[in-house]
Amino acid sequence: MVGRFVMPAVVLLVLGAFVVSERVVQEQHDDGKIHVTYWEKWTGIEFDAIKRVVDEYNRSQDKIHVDLLSVSGIHNKTLMATAAGVPPDVAGLFGPNIAQYFHDRAVIPLDEMCAEAGITRDDYIPIYWDICTFEGTLYALPATPASTALHYNTRLYKEAGFTKPPETIEEMDAYAVKLTKKDSNGDIVQAGFMHQEPGWWNWGWGFVFGGELWDGESKITCDSPDNVRAFTWLQDYSRKYGTSKLQNFKSGFGAFASPQNAFMSEKVAMVLQGGWMGNFISQFKPDLQWAAAPFPYPKDKPELKGRTFADLDILVIPRGAKHPKEAFEFIKFVQSQKGMEMLCLGQTKHSPLAKSSPEFYAKHPNPYIRLFTDMPKNDSVVSPPKIAIWPEYSSELRNAFDEIFIELKDPQTVLARVRTRMQPALDRYLREKALRQGE
Amino acid sequence: MQKKSLKQHILIHTVLIALGLVFLLPLAWMVGTSLKTAVETGADPPTLLPATAQWQNYSDAISYGRDSVGYIPFFVYARNTLLFCILFVAGTVVSNSIVAYSFARLRWKGRDLAFAATLATMMIPFPVIMVPVFSLFVKMDWVGTFRPLWVPAWFGSAFSIFLLRQFFRTIPMELSEAAKLDGCSEWGIYSKVVMPLAKPAVAVVALFAFMAAWNDFLGPLVYLHSQDQFTLSLGLQFYRSQQLSQWHLLMAASTVVIAPVIVLFFFTQRLFIQGITATGLKG
Amino acid sequence: MTFRKTEARNGYLFAMPWFIGFGLFLAYPIIASVYFSFTEYSVLKPPIWVGTENYETLFADEVFWKTLGNTLFFAALYVPLATLLAFGLALLLNSKVRFMAVYRTVFFMPSLVPVVSLVILWMWLFNGEHGLINNALGWVGITGPGWLTDTAWSKPAIVFMSLWGVGNAMVIYLAGLQEVPQQLYEAADLDGATPWQKTKSVTIPLVSPVILFNVVMGIIGSLQIFTQPYVMSEDGSPSRSIYFYSMYLFDNAFKYHKMGYASAMAWIMFLVIFLLTLVALKFAEKRVHYEGG
Repeated sequence: MVGRFVMPAVVLLVLGAFVVSERVVQEQHDDGKIHVTYWEKWTGIEFDAIKRVVDEYNRSQDKIHVDLLSVSGIHNKTLMATAAGVPPDVAGLFGPNIAQYFHDRAVIPLDEMCAEAGITRDDYIPIYWDICTFEGTLYALPATPASTALHYNTRLYKEAGFTKPPETIEEMDAYAVKLTKKDSNGDIVQAGFMHQEPGWWNWGWGFVFGGELWDGESKITCDSPDNVRAFTWLQDYSRKYGTSKLQNFKSGFGAFASPQNAFMSEKVAMVLQGGWMGNFISQFKPDLQWAAAPFPYPKDKPELKGRTFADLDILVIPRGAKHPKEAFEFIKFVQSQKGMEMLCLGQTKHSPLAKSSPEFYAKHPNPYIRLFTDMPKNDSVVSPPKIAIWPEYSSELRNAFDEIFIELKDPQTVLARVRTRMQPALDRYLREKALRQGE
Repeated sequence: MQKKSLKQHILIHTVLIALGLVFLLPLAWMVGTSLKTAVETGADPPTLLPATAQWQNYSDAISYGRDSVGYIPFFVYARNTLLFCILFVAGTVVSNSIVAYSFARLRWKGRDLAFAATLATMMIPFPVIMVPVFSLFVKMDWVGTFRPLWVPAWFGSAFSIFLLRQFFRTIPMELSEAAKLDGCSEWGIYSKVVMPLAKPAVAVVALFAFMAAWNDFLGPLVYLHSQDQFTLSLGLQFYRSQQLSQWHLLMAASTVVIAPVIVLFFFTQRLFIQGITATGLKG
Repeated sequence: MTFRKTEARNGYLFAMPWFIGFGLFLAYPIIASVYFSFTEYSVLKPPIWVGTENYETLFADEVFWKTLGNTLFFAALYVPLATLLAFGLALLLNSKVRFMAVYRTVFFMPSLVPVVSLVILWMWLFNGEHGLINNALGWVGITGPGWLTDTAWSKPAIVFMSLWGVGNAMVIYLAGLQEVPQQLYEAADLDGATPWQKTKSVTIPLVSPVILFNVVMGIIGSLQIFTQPYVMSEDGSPSRSIYFYSMYLFDNAFKYHKMGYASAMAWIMFLVIFLLTLVALKFAEKRVHYEGG
């Protein structure tokens, strides 16, 4: 009878599933090396680049083996693993994460180890070193950086009679008017400039006008005059070109990394983009005629000339890591000119190091790589605020963008509301911090 | 059911076909897209069918980027989903049938009160228990393993207990008493008398458990760390990572994912509906 | 009597998994969650008692009210529509016509589509510029809205999308309909009742407990809506119009690490569900027919 074998088979199946499910999460190694676990947020080509650096490191010596793992929601998972006392030895986080890690004392300071290894601020473009420091102490070291610039379509420029990129915001606004085309229904078929393309920095337009999001200590300043001015400026676009016309136009854009990308398919003549864009263009639309230049500045604020938005991926050693020394050895390798350039070339970004080799420039696929490397050296450079409530604050600001751009609400009112919401959140955080320190 | 005139038959078929088309359209879109080229997925105006069917999308989707390290390990996701489903369904069936047996066929003090409390827990929204359960698993160092996903299933759930209890109550007590007179233990009655009779109800509970595990997104999102552990419901996200939107491959992968389940449902739907009927949801 | 004693012992023994599960995964979390809701807690460090501050902050938190409003709006639209659709489909699928297995499968299939694919499919269909829905509306001369970019239409779009997955409820209704005794219809036929009259006075009263069950489960489920809108837009954009209660709760717990605040939110959610369930049961008291026993 078949029935007699069904039950044992089912039991075996379940047992088997149990055994396999346990093995999936177990790492086994008995090669006599010290194993350093490294969690990384990236997938795709960025992950491949990291993997190559890790492989190179593992080959370069025979004491330490780095086990690389791609982890989703890394910010959260690493914090939780740290809380549980089982963090990885190295975590590759986003720059803005560091604030919360610092406040939660979830990462260890690196000053001493850096001093020993002879790594100093002078080795880096200063902004990137500064992103890694908190109240004078270093808690991370750079992985790949990113800076942003205005990308513009030179063919459409020629068509409209422009020969050089706009210097000021006012000039760019005028360019945008000439570069916008509508069909007989009044629908937009080509846009000069669009804030929502790609829409990754919708919280950050204040920087263009010199706005700051907080005072660096205890005060939220998102409704400062400069910030309000920035949001009023972007709202003007929505009013001028029609909110629903812009929204409809945008919903026709194809996927970002495809020839249907709004900039590559010449639907939008000017976009704010990072140094990686050049790589995607050469991959998907090699015949596109384009150029990059520093993003324009407001006419009355020449001190903001050449301002770029600099962001950074960072490497940290979580508190409680089993092999902090060995973890630092690996991080040190990444900081070497060889390791860093290998990583940054792989991710088609510029190098955070103060000096890049001629080969790096020669091999780099982005023709404007020098621009992207030089802009962050400018005094006007900005980076995301190092504020512990950043996840909440940035979400609030993204929503403010929606309300101002789509619903055409008064920027002053909306931003003041963001401040009144976020100030208590910050106060609570600071209060908790003070309480904990008192303990 | 009732006798119907030809006119009624035609009417019913017309309505069903019309509604069916509406229900099928997104699925047709999915299958259509799964056979398109990347360029065609962004075509304007959109087309349902590709110019030429790209069958290789299917092999591309399940072995996407095989040569590079950042590839999407479809078979790994499939294996993980299977592991999760097996452990979850097995736990649900075993634990709930035992517990429901106690509630339905054994008399003990406080039983009815306990059952009422059990029913009341159905009202507790998942978020209420989410945070403490999470911190419990953090303390146990279970985050980053499959255990938080399936271990709770081995300790019963109100909905399944309720369904099975309703069914167990319809099985005549005389059968148990006869078995007892033959010297059968309580466990023996449960496993040799009651369970064999309860197949349809068990099938229903298993189906609902399977669907819950199959579609679970929040659990894997919160508890699993790495690509190697992801289930299909979560892992499919990677076909649309910010920079790489492989819609055609995502749809091919989705088609592969749902095809076996649809076939399974087609052949077993009558059994399931009978099973639910038998559990007597009517109270 | 020993007989009774053994039975009781076995009863406790058999119910043991549930007692443990209840204690570990329900009772403990519930008590802990009540406690957390009065603390500031980030999982990383022990909780700090803050009294009712979380609740006070909540009631002054406009996003709390916004997400609660969004969620109630969704439930108010979804539950009745889903009930009508699922019950209507079940009635049709309960008739004895050919190809029934095919039809049943067709209507159940969408419940099996992985959420990520489901959301992307619907994002295409709803696309304002070249989505199929607006194209179809265009054929009959209607200019469709930008479904997912317009704050007024994004919630109805989510309702629409969710209705596509009524297969589960439909199957339960179907099961209920199978139990309606044939003779009752035959008797009604003799009285010359129309199909509508039969549905109204035979079918609905007899399956009313199933309807009640599905409605209550529908209320509980729809107030917890999370995955579809979360996959569509983590921020609930545009302008948080599809930012639902569970999403805000999730963000507070796992993105902002305000576990105490999230716990307070969870308890308010429980209260809302409890009240609505009571209302449903009260409403059903005189209208739902239970057979004896």
